[in-house]
Amino acid sequence: MPRVAVLGIESTAHTFGCGVALDDGRILSNVNSTYTPKVGGIHPRESSQHHSSVAPQVVRRALEEAGLSFEEIDAIAVTLGPGLGPCLRVGATIARALSIVHGKPLVPVNHAVAHIEIAKLATGLEDPLIVFVSGGNTIIASYSDGRYRFFGETLDLALGNMLDSFAREAGLPHPGGPKVEELAQRGTKLLRLPYIVKGQDISLSGLLTAAIKLLKEGCRLEDLCYSVQEYAFDMLAEVAERALAYTEKKELVLTGGVARNRELQRKLRIVAEEHGASFGVVPPELAGDNGAMIAWTGALAYKHGVVVEVEKSYVKPRWRLDEVDVPWVEG
Amino acid sequence: MTYLGLKGELIKKGAEAELYKVTFLGLPAILKRRVPKPYRARELDEYIRRTRTAHEVTMMLHARACGVPVPAIYDVDPDEGVIVMEYIPGPTLRELTSRGVDVKPIFRLVGFYVGRMHRGQVVHGDLTPANIVVPEAEKPFFVDFGLSERTGELEALGTDVHLMLRALESTHYLKVKELFNSFLEGYREVMGARAEEVFKKVLEIRRRGRYVEERRAKVR
Repeated sequence: MPRVAVLGIESTAHTFGCGVALDDGRILSNVNSTYTPKVGGIHPRESSQHHSSVAPQVVRRALEEAGLSFEEIDAIAVTLGPGLGPCLRVGATIARALSIVHGKPLVPVNHAVAHIEIAKLATGLEDPLIVFVSGGNTIIASYSDGRYRFFGETLDLALGNMLDSFAREAGLPHPGGPKVEELAQRGTKLLRLPYIVKGQDISLSGLLTAAIKLLKEGCRLEDLCYSVQEYAFDMLAEVAERALAYTEKKELVLTGGVARNRELQRKLRIVAEEHGASFGVVPPELAGDNGAMIAWTGALAYKHGVVVEVEKSYVKPRWRLDEVDVPWVEG
Repeated sequence: MTYLGLKGELIKKGAEAELYKVTFLGLPAILKRRVPKPYRARELDEYIRRTRTAHEVTMMLHARACGVPVPAIYDVDPDEGVIVMEYIPGPTLRELTSRGVDVKPIFRLVGFYVGRMHRGQVVHGDLTPANIVVPEAEKPFFVDFGLSERTGELEALGTDVHLMLRALESTHYLKVKELFNSFLEGYREVMGARAEEVFKKVLEIRRRGRYVEERRAKVR
């Protein structure tokens, strides 16, 4: 099969992105535009309006930077889920239109699978235990017989969502995660918070409630940021460690937006080392939602015949990771 | 490693603890030691190890009092994170299942004993086939009560059963249905009508997870 070039479109939540990837693993472009709310968290409607307004220029620039025209693109890949419905529909609508106008096949991509595939590509790890943490996801998974399967996940809030919500309560601007990380470095006192691990899953909502309560009682913000991170990351590290021991995988990869957090990286690196596993982190520019990861996953899928008819390309806001066949992964 | 002059051979390094095969007063025994975790802040680490060790012992005794096979406790030292217990020879249920042995009758028994635990307000908290040891031609023994809870709440019982289902799905997914049905059969035998409530809860917990197909109908 000659070289395959795929254009990928991402619009799951606050980022509209477009990238071009080749099937040999080269990322030719990765252009992203992120909606930042003036107050509060992500408003789905406002975010989708942002996506609609930036989409044409983002797609155009992705092609320009890749140095390709539509004629040289073999397929259009798009995230169909999971994510926010109004946001997903913007990306899907554009991808369908491009597919029809240029006569290119449409490739459905699962957002979580894309975060995993781009991390594997960037780190060179082949069969890792996966820790995928972002604003909307907190998943520990690994490949087994044709699919990525869940080992553990959050029972309520996603890690990034919890950190952002806490930051918002503390008056820190969106996205609050990086601010919390910065303040945590100046924390000195570990405050007592709920530590909730249920089997292979973690729960973060009680931690958030308790932290907000301490915040209102006037605890030092730096100590709180430190404690919130410490508890949340330790819970995640404990489950990741259990997963590593259980699955006996020899690699551990950290991906998703929260993968940028250095303290989380440090803890998981120790977990991996303790179990003789190699450790990899997705690079910062590919950590958050981005178009390149959709393009790359699209290239993998397209080469294995995964396409969808435009008429059937519904968005799936609750499309679970373990519902997706990944025929390109070798068992 | 030595503890009370006991020298042992490391037989398993789990996620949380190390297991050593030792001889305790002439009896073959398992020494379980919760090791310090270098990634955790020291205070939190000590707190977790101490409380989980003491808690595990208490819960093993509760389970035993419910008529559930668990290893006998020989000694405990929470500050050291150490428990010395009876050695149960045999593969784990996880190993047994992977070998292709017909484990349906064992899963029925597992369900039966989990029913006994639940009826006695003992929730295991980490109920997976890897935490069940099956000696030859005998009843299954339950180990690893570190995350267990003393409660009869439907939510906790459901979480326990849900975990068993999830563990089956992640490693033995081809046999999930028949094995889980055997489990439920044994569970019903003890729990009676309450079993159906628990099972309803399991489905609810499943739907509560993020991005679950079954949840769509409810949301729309």
